[in-house]
Amino acid sequence: MSDIQKILVPDVGGDEVEIIEIGVAVGDNIEAEDAIITVETDKASMDIPSPMAGQITTLKVAVGDKLKEGDIIAEISAEGSAETSNSDAITATVEAEIVPVAATVVEAPAADDKTKSPVASISAIIDIEVPDIGEDGEVDVIEVLVCVGDVIAEEDGLITLETDKATMDVPSPSGGTVKEVFISVGDKVKQGSVVIKLETSGDAAPADAPVVAEKTFAAAAPATKTAAQQSAKSAPVPHHPQMGVTTKGAIYSTPSIRRIAREFGVDLSLVKGTGRKNRILKEDVQSYVKYELSRPKANAGSSVAGGAGGLQVIERKPIDFSKFGEVETVPLTRIQKISGPTLHRNWVTIPHVTQFDEADITEVEAFRKEQNVICEKQKLGFKITPLVFILKAIANAMAAYPVFNSSLSEDGESLIMKKYCHIGVAVDTPNGLVVPVVRDVDQKGIHQLSKELLEISLKARDGKLKAVDMQGSCFTISSLGGIGGISFTPIVNAPDVAILGVSKSEMKPKWNGSEFIPRLMLPLALSYDHRVIDGAVAARFIVHLSGVMTDIRRLTL
Amino acid sequence: MSKDIKTQVVVLGAGPGGYSAAFRAADLGLDVVLVESRKTLGGVCLNVGCIPSKALLHVAKVIDDAKNMASHGVTFGVPEINLDKVRSWKDNVIAQLTGGLTGMAKARKVTTVNGYGKFTGSNTLAVEGENGTTTITFENAIIAAGSSVVNLPFIPTEDPRIIDSTGALELKDIPENMLVLGGGIIGLEMGTVYSSLGSNISVVEFADQLVPAADKDIVRIYNNYVKKRFNIMLSTKVVGVEAKDDGLYVTFEGKQAPAEPVRYDKILVAVGRKPNGHLVAADKAGVNVDERGFINVTNELRTNVNHIFAIGDVVGQPMLAHKAVHEAHVAAEVISGKKHIFEPRCIPSIAYTDPEMAWVGVTESEAKEQGLNIEVANFPWAASGRAIASARTEGKTKLIFEKETGRVLGGAIVGINAGEMLGEICLAVEMGADAEDVGLTIHAHPTLNESIGLAAEIFEGSITDLPNAKAVKKKK
Repeated sequence: MSDIQKILVPDVGGDEVEIIEIGVAVGDNIEAEDAIITVETDKASMDIPSPMAGQITTLKVAVGDKLKEGDIIAEISAEGSAETSNSDAITATVEAEIVPVAATVVEAPAADDKTKSPVASISAIIDIEVPDIGEDGEVDVIEVLVCVGDVIAEEDGLITLETDKATMDVPSPSGGTVKEVFISVGDKVKQGSVVIKLETSGDAAPADAPVVAEKTFAAAAPATKTAAQQSAKSAPVPHHPQMGVTTKGAIYSTPSIRRIAREFGVDLSLVKGTGRKNRILKEDVQSYVKYELSRPKANAGSSVAGGAGGLQVIERKPIDFSKFGEVETVPLTRIQKISGPTLHRNWVTIPHVTQFDEADITEVEAFRKEQNVICEKQKLGFKITPLVFILKAIANAMAAYPVFNSSLSEDGESLIMKKYCHIGVAVDTPNGLVVPVVRDVDQKGIHQLSKELLEISLKARDGKLKAVDMQGSCFTISSLGGIGGISFTPIVNAPDVAILGVSKSEMKPKWNGSEFIPRLMLPLALSYDHRVIDGAVAARFIVHLSGVMTDIRRLTL
Repeated sequence: MSKDIKTQVVVLGAGPGGYSAAFRAADLGLDVVLVESRKTLGGVCLNVGCIPSKALLHVAKVIDDAKNMASHGVTFGVPEINLDKVRSWKDNVIAQLTGGLTGMAKARKVTTVNGYGKFTGSNTLAVEGENGTTTITFENAIIAAGSSVVNLPFIPTEDPRIIDSTGALELKDIPENMLVLGGGIIGLEMGTVYSSLGSNISVVEFADQLVPAADKDIVRIYNNYVKKRFNIMLSTKVVGVEAKDDGLYVTFEGKQAPAEPVRYDKILVAVGRKPNGHLVAADKAGVNVDERGFINVTNELRTNVNHIFAIGDVVGQPMLAHKAVHEAHVAAEVISGKKHIFEPRCIPSIAYTDPEMAWVGVTESEAKEQGLNIEVANFPWAASGRAIASARTEGKTKLIFEKETGRVLGGAIVGINAGEMLGEICLAVEMGADAEDVGLTIHAHPTLNESIGLAAEIFEGSITDLPNAKAVKKKK
């Protein structure tokens, strides 16, 4: 019995996700749990697996598409043995696991079908030049986006230029293979500078090229040049990472929109229009302003000198490290690329203070070991770790000092006090740092939390966390105690207002009034957002916390 | 008697630009003084320009329409024209409008100072009035001093038979033969009035078409229609005027020049207007005025002196009241602290001739100069039911589209009521509308206005009121 059924997007824990890779093609026979597509949220990238085995009959999506829960990904002709024969039930089975797979997405998803298509007979080698960039002088190259051997598609960015007005990508006028790159980061270029030598992939170049030229501003030179030359002149497109927009031609904006843009100093060519026929709406200008204000200012190295109120630092000169010895360039992992700007934003926008203390955990450790012996005897399948006690102690301290369970409102005018207590636990995984969240810590017992913590860390290490597993934290713990070190200053994980850094416990001599006695001391470092939390409150919080750790009977008070 | 006034904003000139600036500034909570040399507000436009000429053109239209009825079976008698009554009707129109302005100025508590204002310093202005000098100390000034008619050096100005547009509007008499010097909008409008009242009109124009700013195909339709009533001499110029007792003898040179001097009873000089930048002692305030009399301004309408603004004819072409009004609002808003600039995509132009010519946005010839990739759609009024029913099929409606996107870049209409129809095209250009938007907007039938929607349908290939060049070709 075979039956065509739809594969829908499951709950992906966010509004919209973007497809960065498609793992199957029409006609492929796949097994249940095989990855169909890879999507990216602002937290992580994840594979969406097939809920059943069968043959893909239609694919409804392409790389770059944005999807939300319930959208159709593909249609599958299910095998007779499929778990269900009733299509109503499919959406339920589709609630499949979503697995973050940072490792599988290292390869750029550029134009798969173009590379697969037979190389046409009319391939040609063309020089691609910097088009008219609206600047008289030379401009800086701040990024080179291609290397020799890369297969690129038409409109793919080649280099990123920075003028005093904007950062923009120079797009490739046609697809093909990069034969030679003439530009490196830090070079200055002007109109006509040769960027790369491209072997066009036949099907893309000559036929499409004139269209590309037409699409760009008509002010370009009269159309008497050869197709290849002309295609190499397509105008630069604005660089606007999150929006991923390229505004071509004149801008669709009405007089009222031009006025509001003027009031906010917005360059409308950088705004993505979401109205009918890509018209720029008032909301688009507003969201652009919001986006620009929240954007980490130094991510492109461009906006580091952000004028009054911005960061006034000197530009970092590019250094050729190979002058000093052998080097190798390794790209940042996807998780690093995603978390880097967030960390940077938190680092520069939150006034951090870090408060240090030591908790005497001699008693709690003794108790923990005792309990673990019992756990083993009862074959409960988990061990109690010191982290669980820290979790409980934090929940207790947060209840005593509720300001630690708050977030600053968007306008900075009020505090949002949370009536729930979810705590994020930073976990080191082979793919990078992730922060799964343990829910309702205040309402759970030591055993329950130990079990959950074990599950969640296993999931994290296997790369199986869902986006929703990493959302909703009120406070974060970063524990490096298993590795070593005396102390460190963690960065607050906004919108949290505090984070606890835990280092390696150590037996230390402590004076009890008459003699030194050995006590097991755990170093704690509490970083907090000083806009929300006063120093005295923070000191009280950490004293309360170490007090609970020292004598966990206080948890019951 | 002298008087001192202190104010936040002084506006120099009470034409459409000046009074709009003053009223807008007052509405934004500023203290405003409005200085005007005329007895009434409204400037050239209301007193000796747009409005009185429209009153007379209305008279002309009714005379012409009545005459044209004869061929449709209704014959009126020969019109008896009482010039005094026509004149006083026109003056009433002016009085009604300028009186309205005076009332609105009072209601807004705008102080008006009557007299000729000149700068005496960067923050002071002296106004010479009937009752002595008023000194105004201001924080901000808006120069809205307008423009005046251009006189040609070889034409005697003292002779009462040689008039400018102001003289023509005075309607002293109806000359038998009148030469209109200059085939622009003003000359043709006044020529229409006098022709309808009974004068024989000759028009001499130095360029190779009337109204050189408009597209050739538009003007050609107008030209064909009026060549019965006007003797038009293109690519021709006047090289001498000799005033004799029995008339003005004019010598021509050029393509269509008569060999001998021609006698006229009157000459209307309508060769253009020049800005009044040199007439307000702007240099005393440190404001730069160029040789021709224009004052350069930024897109906030600021002159080189930060607190002094300039608007209207005195800042550049086109010298049109509606441009001045919008500049006025921006200047007043900038003074009140708003971050506004003057950035229209288009400014419409209309010749209230018979038939009217109206255009906005890029013209076809401008598009060619700029190398724009355009497609033009023309809807001929011969296919318009309303035009046929009105016995005025000489018109056409033209839209200019960006070829790739179908976006409306401009348009032009020639035909009766063309001016009243132009607004839709202005809106389309400003809103970035494309052919589909205009074509899918339901236009009422039968109207002349539906020709705009039909022109868009021609571009779209969905037209059914004409043969469709973009129709799917059937296989035979």
